[in-house]
Amino acid sequence: MSPHSISFLVTLVISIFIVLLIDRILRPGLRGLLEEIVALPSATEFYLRAFAIVLAFVAIGAMLGSSFDLKDGARFMECVWAVAAGLKDVFQNLFVVLLVYVGLMTVLIAALRRKQ
Amino acid sequence: MSNEHYLIVSYFLVGLVSLCLGITVYRVLRAPFATIAEAATGRLRGRVLTRALGAFMTLAAVLGFLSVTYTQKGCRSYEEIVKDRAYLVQTNHQQLQRTGDWIVSAVFLWCVVVLICLLGLRRPTANRRNEN
Repeated sequence: MSPHSISFLVTLVISIFIVLLIDRILRPGLRGLLEEIVALPSATEFYLRAFAIVLAFVAIGAMLGSSFDLKDGARFMECVWAVAAGLKDVFQNLFVVLLVYVGLMTVLIAALRRKQ
Repeated sequence: MSNEHYLIVSYFLVGLVSLCLGITVYRVLRAPFATIAEAATGRLRGRVLTRALGAFMTLAAVLGFLSVTYTQKGCRSYEEIVKDRAYLVQTNHQQLQRTGDWIVSAVFLWCVVVLICLLGLRRPTANRRNEN
């Protein structure tokens, strides 16, 4: 297996792990908040599923977008740097998407609270 | 496998994968969205909205796939493209990435649609409360 493939696979596994971790940490709180604000189970389910889809697509997309320019005889630390560069893109995109989602939730809360 | 074979197989395979991603996202979101749309707009309009969700997700996925070009707007010839295997792989990655980006944008847009549906759902309740 070439260093390129190894770096790619390692980044993929870590990205999936990060997505699962974020989803696991945020899901219970987000569910509680949505249940309280929306008061419609299907809407809560929709927003939670949308959240998971967005996280997964953004993380894997960012990973696919980053280039792993490694030659066949690349050293260990070169692979580590390539993985780190890939993860930087993943974190950057996750950060942006979480910001957008927080913005969406803020609008949701503001709009529905006012109606209540 | 020669580079030209790889190009042909990977192009259609990635296209199919993109389409499947769009359809999968639609299937994941369809059930909760259909309930919301039906509650907010009635059965008939709800069904139209649900179908629109499907069409939108599929189109977003296909659009993402098609938005990546191999020739870079005529800068690369076919021979140059076929010669470089790494470029072919990178373009496949790019196609999948763009598909994901378009799907994410579409999901956010439909989150806003759901918000509008929820506001529409609340309005009659609020009006009834005001009348009482």
